[in-house]
Amino acid sequence: MALLTDAPSHSAAPGRRSGRLSPGVRYALRRTLTAISTLVFVVLFNFFLFRVMPGDPIGLYTRGRNVDADQIRALREALDKPLIQQLFEYLKNPFSQGVDSVKYSQPVWDVIGPRVWPTLLLVGSATVIATVVGVWLGIRSGWRRGGRFDTVATNVTLVLYSMPEFWFGMIMLIVFAVGVGPIPGIFPIGGLSTPGVDTSSPAGWLDVAFHLVLPVTTLAVIYLAEYSLIMRASIIEETSQDYLQTARAKGLMDKRVRQRHAVPNALLPTMTLVFLNLGFVVGGAITIEYVFSIDGLGSLTVDALQGPDVPLLQALFLLFSAAVIFANLVADLMYGLLDPRVRT
Amino acid sequence: MRRPARTTRLLAALAVTTLATGVLLTGPASADDSSSPTPATSSAPTVFTVGMTEDIDSANPFTGIAAVSYEIFQMEYPTLTEYAASDFSTAPGLAESWTESADHKTWTYKIRSGLTWSDGQPLTAHDAAYTFNRILKGKYEQTNYSSYTDNIVKAVAPDDTTLVLTVKQPSPIMEKLAVYILPEHIWKNIDEKAVKSYKNEGTPDSPTVGAGPYVMVERRVGQFIRMQANPSFFRGKPAVDEVVFKIYKNQDALGQALKKGEIDFADSLEANVFKSLQNQPGITTLSATYSGFNELAFNTGAALDNGTPIGDGNPLLKDKKLRQALGWAIDRQTLVDKVLGGGGSVGSTIIPPMYASLHLDPADPVTYDPEKAKTLLDAAGYKVGPDGIRTDANGNRLEFRLFGRTDSSGNASQKAVQFIKGYLNAVGVAVDVKMMSSDNLTTIIGEGNFDMFEWGWVVEPDPNYQLSTFTCANRSYKDGGTIYANLSDSFYCNPAYDKLFQQQSVTTDVAARTAIVKQMQQMLYDDSPYIVTYYYDNLEAYRSDRFTGFVNQPSPDGSLLFQYGTWSYENMKPVVASAPASPTPGQTIAQGDVVQPTSSTNWALIIGIVVLVLLALGGGVWLGRGRNRDFAADDDRE
Repeated sequence: MALLTDAPSHSAAPGRRSGRLSPGVRYALRRTLTAISTLVFVVLFNFFLFRVMPGDPIGLYTRGRNVDADQIRALREALDKPLIQQLFEYLKNPFSQGVDSVKYSQPVWDVIGPRVWPTLLLVGSATVIATVVGVWLGIRSGWRRGGRFDTVATNVTLVLYSMPEFWFGMIMLIVFAVGVGPIPGIFPIGGLSTPGVDTSSPAGWLDVAFHLVLPVTTLAVIYLAEYSLIMRASIIEETSQDYLQTARAKGLMDKRVRQRHAVPNALLPTMTLVFLNLGFVVGGAITIEYVFSIDGLGSLTVDALQGPDVPLLQALFLLFSAAVIFANLVADLMYGLLDPRVRT
Repeated sequence: MRRPARTTRLLAALAVTTLATGVLLTGPASADDSSSPTPATSSAPTVFTVGMTEDIDSANPFTGIAAVSYEIFQMEYPTLTEYAASDFSTAPGLAESWTESADHKTWTYKIRSGLTWSDGQPLTAHDAAYTFNRILKGKYEQTNYSSYTDNIVKAVAPDDTTLVLTVKQPSPIMEKLAVYILPEHIWKNIDEKAVKSYKNEGTPDSPTVGAGPYVMVERRVGQFIRMQANPSFFRGKPAVDEVVFKIYKNQDALGQALKKGEIDFADSLEANVFKSLQNQPGITTLSATYSGFNELAFNTGAALDNGTPIGDGNPLLKDKKLRQALGWAIDRQTLVDKVLGGGGSVGSTIIPPMYASLHLDPADPVTYDPEKAKTLLDAAGYKVGPDGIRTDANGNRLEFRLFGRTDSSGNASQKAVQFIKGYLNAVGVAVDVKMMSSDNLTTIIGEGNFDMFEWGWVVEPDPNYQLSTFTCANRSYKDGGTIYANLSDSFYCNPAYDKLFQQQSVTTDVAARTAIVKQMQQMLYDDSPYIVTYYYDNLEAYRSDRFTGFVNQPSPDGSLLFQYGTWSYENMKPVVASAPASPTPGQTIAQGDVVQPTSSTNWALIIGIVVLVLLALGGGVWLGRGRNRDFAADDDRE
C-alpha cells in the first residue's frame, strides 16, 4: 500500500531537492502524521459513539441498594453535563486522571492500570510463542511442500485453528487443572498467582509462570496456525523465484539457501501480521480470560459494557485504538527498514 | 562439519537449560524461607480461602457498593449494633447498650471500654462521633449511608464510652445503624477531596487499621483479597489466621476449585454446580434459607411521582381483580422444583420467611388452582373469546408482554418466564415473552413500557427499604426531560399504604412496628402488584474436611458466610488432623490438612521446573538452529 504513495510528485520536478530530509526520514514522518491524525479521529469518534448508547448506569448500580433519591440525583448530575461541555472536557485531555469509572468510582486509568499487565503477560507471551513456533513450522512445511511433515503440521494446525477458544480452554482446564483418570490436576484452576506469594521475588515469578502455563498454551496453540500458514504460503512463493535457482546454482547448501535467501524475503508478510496482532494484544482474549479467571482488559471490557460504564468504555476503546494505531505505525516503520522499496 | 555443529547446538541448549534450572533451584529455596520464618516453633498459618465470582468494587467504605465489598467492610470495621446470628434481632456491637430518650430525640450509646484498633491506638466513642460527623458534613461520604444518617442532626462523644446522637424524628433505624466506625487517627488525614479516590487497601507492610475480626493485608485487583486475623478484636482473635477471597470468572471454575481443594468455601452457587458438589468426599453442601425472592410483577398503571401517566402498559392490568385471579394460575411449587432445582420455597409476601418475626404468612394463601383462576376471571368479566383468549367487556384481549432477563444466574429467568407463559395460557391469557438484559429491562421498567416482567429482590433485615419500593413517591421521576427509574417497578400507588409506610418509619416500639409491617404485607398481597413466585436458597458448599464451627444466620439453616455480621469468621476453626505433632509436608497433603499453600507450591515448583526446562530446551534448540549457518539438512529428508 505504502508503495503507491506520492511517487509521481518526485518525477514531476526532476533534479530539484524537495527538502533537506532524506527519503527514509520523510517516509517515517509521513507515517507518523497519518497515525496521529487517525488517533485524533478515533478520539472524536469514540466520544460520540458512547453518547448514543442507551442505558442509565447510575440507575443500574443503585438498584436494590439503600440509596435515596437525592443521592442518586447527585450521582447523575456528574454525568449529565451538556454534550458540548463534555466534549470539551474530554478533548482537553482524553488520558486525564479526572474521569471516574461509574462502577468502580475511581479514575478510569486507575481501574485500567492493574489489568494491563495480566493481559500483556497472557496474550503477549502467547503471541510470541505462537510466532516463533508458527514461523518455524511454516518454514519447514513450505520448504518441503507436500511432504510428511507438511501434511501433518498443516492438518494439525488447521484443526487447532478451527477449535473455539473457550472450548479448547475448558478441555485444557479439565484435563490438566482438574485431572482426568490417571492425569493428575496439577495446574491451578484460575488466577495469576497464589495469594500470599510475593510476585516480585523469583519464587513469585515462577508462581506466575506456573499459573500462566495453561492459558498461554491454549492461546498459543490457537494462534499458531495463522503464522504457520502465512509463513508456509510465502515460503512456497519464494521457492519458485529465480534468485533461489541462482543461489542453488552457485552450489550453496540447501539449508543455507533456505536460511539466508528464502526466509528473509518470505518473512515480510508474517512481520506485518505479527505487528498488527501485537496491537490487538492489549484487547486481551476475552474468552480465555474468562475460562482461566484472569482479570485482564478483555474481561474488564465485558464488565464495562454492562451498565454501560461509559467513561470506562471510552478509555478502554481509546487504549485499544491507540495500541493498534501504534502497532501499525511500528509495522510501517519496520517495513521501511526491512524493505527499502517502500520508502520512496 | 555436521558433528561439531550439532554439539554447539546442544551446548547452547544445555546452557539455557542450566541457567533456567539455576533460577528455579534458587527460587524454591527462598520461597520456603519466606513461608516459614520460624520452622522450629510455629506451623504454617491457617488459611481459609473463599471462592467468589465477583471482585469488590472498592475497599473504601464510602465508595464500595458491591455486596462482596460489604463482606470486607464488616470484617474490618465495627458497627454500634449488630444482627444476632440466630434470628436477626438487634445485638450489642461496639455499643454494649443503648437508650432512647423519652422524647425520642436523642439516642445514647454506651461504647465498650478499653478497646484498641489493630494498630494499638485506643478505640473510643470519639472515633464513633468522628465517623458520624464526617458523614453528616461530607456530601460524598453520605452516598453510602444516607438512609441511616439523614435523620441524624449531630453526633457528640461527651466521654470515651458515651456516644450521643440527636435525631429529627423518632426512628427504629437508630437501633440498626450499619455505619462502619472508622479510626479517626487514620481517616482525619484523608480530606474530602482525597476520600473519593482513597483505596483503603492494606499491604503486608501496612495492613488496614480496623477493629473487626480481620484486617486487609493485600489486595490484587481482580485476583484476590487477603485478610489477617486481628488480635485486638473485642470478641477475641479468630482461630483462623488468614482469610483469602479468591476471584474466579465463572461458576464451573468455582466448583472445580472446591473439589480440588484450591478453595475451602463457595457461595451463591448455581444449581447445576451445586449438584455436582453434592456427595463429594470432604465437601458439605448447604441449601441455605436466604433473604431473596423473585416475582412476576405487573404494570399497575405507570406514572411519574407527580401522577403523570407514562409508558405503554396494557391498562387492563390496572384491574386488581385480574391480577388476583392470575395469582391462582401460577404453580409456584413447580417453579421451585424446576427453576430452582428444589433449592427454595413457595413465595407469598415480600418479606421472606427467613425474617421470621417480620414475615406475614397470609391467612388465606393463594395456591395453584387454575379452575379457581378461570372462575375468578369469568366473574371479573373476562370471557373466553373464539380463539381461546379472554377479552373484557369492550373486546380488549388479555394479551400481555412478559419480559425476562437474559443474564440471570443459572438462566432462572428464562426458565421461569416459559413456565409462567404456559400457566397464563392455560387460563386464557396470551403472553408474548421477550428476553433482554437487566440493563435494558431497568430502563424499560423506569419508562413504564411493559406489562409484566420477572425479576427479584434481596431483602434487608430492616424492612423499610423493601416496603419503600411500593410507595407513590418512589415511582419514576422526570429530570431535565429524561424519565428516570426510581425504586418502584410496579408503579403501585395507594395512599393507605403510604400512610402505613410513614407510620412504621417513625415507630420505635418493635412490636408495634412489626404489626404495621405485617399489615402492609397483607395489603400488597391482596392488591397483587407482584405475584411473589418463590424464595430462593443460597447454595453454599465448603470443605468440611478442613474447617468447622461455622454459624448459620439465621439458625438453623441460614447462610454460613455473606451474612449480616461476621459470626462464622469469628467461630470457624480448622479441623484438627489426628496427625503427629510435626507432620512432614507429604503427610499433610495426604490428610487433606489446611496447610495447603506449601503443598501446592511444591507441586507448582516441580511442574514449573519441568515446563520451563522444556521451554528452555525448545528455545535453545531453536536458537541453535537459527544461528548455525551450516545447519544439517538430514532431519528434513523425506
